[in-house]
Amino acid sequence: MLHLVLFLIFGAICVAGAVNLLVQRHPINSALSLVAVMASLAVEYLLLGAEFVAAVQVIVYAGAIMVLFVFVIMLLNAGEEARTGGSRVAILFGIPGMLAGSLLVAWVLITHSGTQEVSAGALPGPPREIANLLFHDFLLPFEVTSVLVLIAIMGAVVLAARPESIEQQKREG
Amino acid sequence: MSLAFQASQALPRGTDYLRILPELVLSIFGMIIMVLDPVVDQRRNQKALGTLALIGSLAAIASTLWQARAPGLAFWNMVQVDTFSVFFHFLITTITAVVILTSYEYMEVQQIRVGEYYALILFGAVGMCLMSSAVELVLIFIALEISSISTYILAGFRRRAAISSEASIKYFLLGSFATAFFLYGVALMFGATGSTSIPTIEQHLRSGSIPVLAYVAIALMFVGLGFKVAAAPFHVWTPDVYEGAPAPIVGFMSTAPKAAVFAVLLRIMFQIHAPGRLGLIWVAAALSMTLGNIGALVQQNVKRLLAYSSIAHAGYLLVAFAALPQNGIPSAMFYTASYAAMNIGAFAVVSHFGGAGERYVTLEDYSGLGRRSPVLAAALTLFLLSLIGIPITAGFFAKFYVFSAALQANLVGLVIIGVINSAVAAYYYLRVIVVVYMHDPRDESVLPAVPLELGAALAITALTTIYLGLLPGRVLDYASRSAGDLLH
Amino acid sequence: MNGPSLDTIILSLVTFIPAFGGLLLFFFPRRDRDIRVFALVVALLAFALSLHLPRYLHRAQAGFQYEIDKPWIPTPNIHYHMGVDGVSSWLVVLTTFLTPLCVLISWRSIHERVKEFFVLLLILESALIGVFVSLDLFLFYFFWEATLIPMALLIGMFGHGRRVYAAVKFFLYTMIASVFMLAGILWLYAKAGSFDFITIQNAIRNGKVEGFAAAAPWLFLGFFVAFAVKVPLFPFHTWLPDAHVEAPTAGSVLLAGVLLKMGTYGMLRFNLGFFPEQSRANAWWIAILALIGIIYGALVAMVQPNMKKLIAYSSISHLGFVVLGIFSFTPAGVAGAVFIMLAHGISTGALFMLAGILYERRHTYEISEFGGLATPMPRYAAFFLFIVLSSVGLPLLNGFVGEFLVLSGAFQAHAVYGVLGATGVIWSACYLLWMYQRVFFGKVRQPVNESLPDLDTREHLALWPAAAAALVMGVAPLLWLNTIQPAAQSAISPLGQIASKVITP
Repeated sequence: MLHLVLFLIFGAICVAGAVNLLVQRHPINSALSLVAVMASLAVEYLLLGAEFVAAVQVIVYAGAIMVLFVFVIMLLNAGEEARTGGSRVAILFGIPGMLAGSLLVAWVLITHSGTQEVSAGALPGPPREIANLLFHDFLLPFEVTSVLVLIAIMGAVVLAARPESIEQQKREG
Repeated sequence: MSLAFQASQALPRGTDYLRILPELVLSIFGMIIMVLDPVVDQRRNQKALGTLALIGSLAAIASTLWQARAPGLAFWNMVQVDTFSVFFHFLITTITAVVILTSYEYMEVQQIRVGEYYALILFGAVGMCLMSSAVELVLIFIALEISSISTYILAGFRRRAAISSEASIKYFLLGSFATAFFLYGVALMFGATGSTSIPTIEQHLRSGSIPVLAYVAIALMFVGLGFKVAAAPFHVWTPDVYEGAPAPIVGFMSTAPKAAVFAVLLRIMFQIHAPGRLGLIWVAAALSMTLGNIGALVQQNVKRLLAYSSIAHAGYLLVAFAALPQNGIPSAMFYTASYAAMNIGAFAVVSHFGGAGERYVTLEDYSGLGRRSPVLAAALTLFLLSLIGIPITAGFFAKFYVFSAALQANLVGLVIIGVINSAVAAYYYLRVIVVVYMHDPRDESVLPAVPLELGAALAITALTTIYLGLLPGRVLDYASRSAGDLLH
Repeated sequence: MNGPSLDTIILSLVTFIPAFGGLLLFFFPRRDRDIRVFALVVALLAFALSLHLPRYLHRAQAGFQYEIDKPWIPTPNIHYHMGVDGVSSWLVVLTTFLTPLCVLISWRSIHERVKEFFVLLLILESALIGVFVSLDLFLFYFFWEATLIPMALLIGMFGHGRRVYAAVKFFLYTMIASVFMLAGILWLYAKAGSFDFITIQNAIRNGKVEGFAAAAPWLFLGFFVAFAVKVPLFPFHTWLPDAHVEAPTAGSVLLAGVLLKMGTYGMLRFNLGFFPEQSRANAWWIAILALIGIIYGALVAMVQPNMKKLIAYSSISHLGFVVLGIFSFTPAGVAGAVFIMLAHGISTGALFMLAGILYERRHTYEISEFGGLATPMPRYAAFFLFIVLSSVGLPLLNGFVGEFLVLSGAFQAHAVYGVLGATGVIWSACYLLWMYQRVFFGKVRQPVNESLPDLDTREHLALWPAAAAALVMGVAPLLWLNTIQPAAQSAISPLGQIASKVITP
């Protein structure tokens, strides 16, 4: 029972953090809300019995990644973003549509809760089992992720590079 | 614990690697290009890297053919090589090769750094190939991300044009949103069936009553995939992105990722026996055809026109998904191949004619193209006629098979919508042909000659368009066999 | 000749030689003279080969000859099936006969984009021949649509003032109409499992096509609309004057000479062949439309200030005779209709060539611009008179035979049709001769016209064959009718028992 209550509380924090992330105008505030989201997610994992995943979540996301985020924001010296009027389509259709969609999913989940209840411990939790999944059953997706990361880095390089690099090379050469 | 199982097969075997050989080849060549990029003197030899990429894609085609002789599962039921996956591998790697051919001249004219460009195309192809052979939703998701992210970046490659960066950002934001939908669908499907493996899901859904959650999961996955194929109502990004992205890349991303996503859709819709398939598809197909064609009617920019046309074609293709599996699958596969041939060809012409900075892309710029360059004009006409669906071009049989498959499933309403739409579509394609041949040129300047590589690309696409229109039998047979493989 | 081997490939040869020539031409260097000569050689070769068809046709034998039937595409079940009978073999010859004349007449008037012009012309010729020889509905439909593109391009690229408008109108009219035919073809394929003309016809006759009785009225209409627009039957005719006025001369010649016949040929072959019951049931209003076309076309032609438009409306009138003849269901009427198809092809083709010759010199088709041309251009005037007379239906020239047969057929069917149709003959004499009078007689009013050069050798070469054909067809019509009649007879044989009866309105 306590599990359930905690689960709901942290779930609410998670959603509230995500909403706050979108609403805030200053990048630092957004980044800090993201920390809240990540951290509450870690607690959720823990409550579901996935201690290892929870730990990784805290170390990698809430720790390393967020530090990088904040670091980059500080370096770029990004200021407050201007408030725009917002898209009328988004207000008229997007938000009601999203609400309707999430209510529908919630309703389905509550009334027809699938075939099996997910309880703590039902899913792989210990590092050994996770390692087994990651480096055996899911070896290929795991390895393929490296290609994904590689092209993401390349994308950053390409899109951040100065456009006239080839002309520069010509002048230099 | 599964220690015993581990002992029996702790490491992947040789055949496991054979079954992802095209992906391996493409990745290796992509990495070689990245390594060589700083070494090769770009100023003098833009072509060297392109040629390397071309060799890579050709090697991937060859390894696909080799792989075809050893069908089966690999990597603990992650990947399945069968005629279905070989069909799409062949299609995607060939598209890659042809697109690389069309890029040679374009990159030189636009003065774009080529290194990352070719590498990204190859890596993108890795993702697309994996999508067609993966039988596990998590792997499909990662492959989808690879293919999407590489196309987001490629869309922004015209760095000097603000419109290109806009395209890239728009595509990236909306695309990520769509992928999130797909992932949510995967999660719900896991919740409904306790597995992310397609064969297991299929067994689960077949064995008992279908949980309502599965319907929601399918719908969410369809939202994500529908976005990737530019099906209405998830099509709004298409015209802007196609207008901004480099022309050869538009040719690429309107065909290869689409083919891969359609392969995934075929697996999800037919192999899983997706619940609620008919309703979803019916609405999306009817909307795509109608909105795409109506949008295209008023376009003045050829790239935008082709963008709307690609929405409409996604709609025709979706019609096949509403049909019965044994007809729907082959007709959808045939359509994907035909559409690839004619659309890449059309964009090859657009990319050559656009000139530096893609200056000439409006319909008016095309006036008198028939007088200025008869060969380009003839090629463009062929592709447009095929897009209309005139007999003995690929487009005719593509539509014919799709619509007849739908008729056999008694989807008369959908077919009527489709046929009316094809008639409407004829109007705007013909408008281009009219402008090309019957208007006087606005600008008499001599067009640059068609270089060898582009000529080869045009020849390949044109011949394929005619081949599929004259003798569609072989490809259709192969597609039918693939359908059999997919349905067991 | 060379025995059976040639007989099996002759149709493929005749059909594809022009297109193949066109393809070769596409890779020619842009030396205009060579291109013209080559196009002429290809067209003449096709003509020479096509003469084989009527020459060795077994007259007594009904049904199709020189057949070739090879499986082409397994799904859908499409065959490469070609064959001709007495009707279609002559239509093929008409096409191959007119094409060299078109090449000659365009020799100088086309001086820009010469290569494109002749490539399109030769491809058009192939497509036209293909329409007449195809016995597989898919193949037929393909050639049917394939005629559209080169024709529209010829009008749009080489036409006069409002050429783009005319080309697009032409294309859209005929394209949209043929979609209905496509729907009919696909329905037949779905039920009969074949695109083969003969197979489907047999299946229908033996009642093996499921749901045919209910669908037949709609199918009949679907096919009919596609053909009626092509003919063009009143009230689907509005594209024709526009297309003719803007088209280059060669385009007009093929348009009037052959393209319109695709419509009447289609009615004869498919409407009568597949749907005899419906043809009989619908004949009354079709005949009325044909009569309206005859009289309306003639009256409108009368008041045209533009020579080419006048000839265009005269086509509507003449083609009305053809439709009337076909839907009289009498052997004489049908044979006459086919004969008019050929005769009209030659005389109207020649009229358009003559108008084109004048246009080359004066760049106008306005009748009021001329007058008294007989003085500066006596030979031209003589040719013009000869062709006008043949078109009017003077006995011993080609127009007379067909109109006589059609009218006698129409009288057999229903006296009123005959009477009304006969007035069309009178009307045609009025407008053509009046036009002739205004153009050639009287004083030369415009000083420019006084020094117009008469025909040169090339123009003589283009006109003589047409004139000779008009004469021979008028003097010895049996050469043609001998082969046409068995085919006409078999076309109406499904209507056998009602053939000689009166059609009740």
